Amino acid sequence: MRSRAWSVCRKELRDALRDSRTIIAVFVVPLVLYPGIMLLMGWIESQNKKDEGAMQVRVGLVGEAQLPGLVPALKSMEGVTTVSLDRVPPNLESAGVDAVLSIPSGIAQSIPRGDSVKVELLYKDADHKSSAAEKKLRPALDEVRRELTVLWARSHGAPVAQAPAVAVETRDVSSKAEEGRFMAAFIIPYILVFMVAAGTMHLAIDATTGEKERSTLETLLATPTPRRDLVLGKVLAVIATALAAGLVGIFGLWFNFTVLAGLMPALSSQSVQLTIRPDQAFFILLTILPTAIFLSAALVALGCFARSMREGQTYATYVYMAAVVLGLISFRQLGAPPMERFMIPILNTALLQREILTDTVVPMHAAVALGTSAVVAAIMFVIATRLFSNESVLFRT
Amino acid sequence: MIEVLNLCKTFHDRKKGDIAAVSNVSFTCSPGRVFGLLGRNGAGKTTTLRMLATILYPTSGTARIDGIDVNENPGEVRKRIGYLSGDTKLYDRLTGRELLTYFGELAGMSPASIAGRIAELQVSFQLADFLDKRVGRMSTGMKQRLSLCRVVLHDPPVLIFDEPTSGLDVMGAREVLRIVLDLKSKGRTIIFSTHIMTEAERICDEIAIIERGSILAKGSVDSLRQSNGGGSLEDVFVSTVDKVFREEAARGEPVRP
Repeated sequence: MRSRAWSVCRKELRDALRDSRTIIAVFVVPLVLYPGIMLLMGWIESQNKKDEGAMQVRVGLVGEAQLPGLVPALKSMEGVTTVSLDRVPPNLESAGVDAVLSIPSGIAQSIPRGDSVKVELLYKDADHKSSAAEKKLRPALDEVRRELTVLWARSHGAPVAQAPAVAVETRDVSSKAEEGRFMAAFIIPYILVFMVAAGTMHLAIDATTGEKERSTLETLLATPTPRRDLVLGKVLAVIATALAAGLVGIFGLWFNFTVLAGLMPALSSQSVQLTIRPDQAFFILLTILPTAIFLSAALVALGCFARSMREGQTYATYVYMAAVVLGLISFRQLGAPPMERFMIPILNTALLQREILTDTVVPMHAAVALGTSAVVAAIMFVIATRLFSNESVLFRT
Repeated sequence: MIEVLNLCKTFHDRKKGDIAAVSNVSFTCSPGRVFGLLGRNGAGKTTTLRMLATILYPTSGTARIDGIDVNENPGEVRKRIGYLSGDTKLYDRLTGRELLTYFGELAGMSPASIAGRIAELQVSFQLADFLDKRVGRMSTGMKQRLSLCRVVLHDPPVLIFDEPTSGLDVMGAREVLRIVLDLKSKGRTIIFSTHIMTEAERICDEIAIIERGSILAKGSVDSLRQSNGGGSLEDVFVSTVDKVFREEAARGEPVRP
């Protein structure tokens, strides 16, 4: 009994090891792809940190005159500009600053009295620049802490080491809506790339390689319908499913984060308010279109080329993985992305969607992204049509 | 009318080089007649019929279907043919009616003419019981009848059948042959490939024995028998093909049975 099971096992392994797809899935993907994705994510993180360090930030100071060493310390920092404010502004944007350092008035009196003093750095975690300002100002906060400690020690005639801890805190003043916008700008483009790619995969392969595998292809080719129209019909059907996947994806995100979270208070308090305005949803759907056309035509072309459903699904998985990697690269950019990134299909859509969600659309970016995607989609469509008319591809064994 | 003149097809294989699948095949078939291509698996029947159906492009030579050249105007040829291969499947997730409507649309028929034709064929092909059933739930016989119905839906004058009884039981095969004979009686030009001798004897007016992509013998069943000195069609076929093997062996070529 066992020896027979062993025979079956050996046969299956021999069979599998002679299949290049198994070799790729078992050896190449774990050895190359996954470590590659990890490296890519590490690189994105390090580049983002580097970009943050290079940002120019503007910091509002309230009550800074009470700490004479503070302003020179801030001015010595690279990329930091200070502006004096009378009081803490109702929001950072109205004051035109990325962060506000607030030193309560009368510390010369309150410190010697031993009153509790709280110095705050107000910033927004939901804003890259503000978040970068917070990171840059961390050494300055140490300076504030040191000055306040010295002030206490002088007033009490005691050594600095005996000074009580002074509360110098940072406070994220992002509203839930701002947090939601920030999250949406990152998550939605990435999720939509997944959804659209996944939405196209099955039908594209089924409508092409499936025709070969089901032996329905010859029947189709013997009809008077031109090959171009056959491919066009298939690509249109795949585009429809891709758009449906994108639409359902947008609805699903909105429903989960807005409606469902609203119905469940426990969930609501934990979650961010992921808001997408109707106009943003409309423009995002528009940006999905060229990507959907590109992915559909590319997958239909690969489906025409593949000999079997299994082979077709393997190709589709590679396309899906490429979409995942391009989606990941979209996390790289903190500020305005360089123009050349808007020429890379899929990545350009994710970047454009982020601009839409953060209301920072650059018309030239939109034009280049949509134009490039449309051109590449047209090229893919031509390739798909040629492959569908090429008998050595259609009937290759 | 089908006129085939010196039709050739060569495939290129990276390891084996050029392979001649069909070499200088010529024949004609008139309306109201059935021309049979009799050959073993891999003899070149399917490649020949695929070229006639404009699914494959001839390497050289040509064929005229209803007077239209397959090389010059394949789209027009497709309007005039019905093509059925024995291993052709249907779309399992469509109903019979949806499938016929789809192929009617691909043939350029109007919705009204599709509906009218389906109503007509529903009676003659006895499809009423399963026309609105999904193809995946149909029996093999039902599927074959539906396939035949699809082939004649746009009423083509030329019909190309490539081993249409392949995989069918005796009853199913008889039904297919009955329908083919019925179409012949209606004046259609029919080309029918098979490797089953009894089928060829029963329905073909003229037969070509094909091997290694070339036609070795051609004529009516009776004339082929006479030229072989009597015997059955199977005897004629075996002796004709054997002759090729013997000649190859005499030339010292490797045996390729």
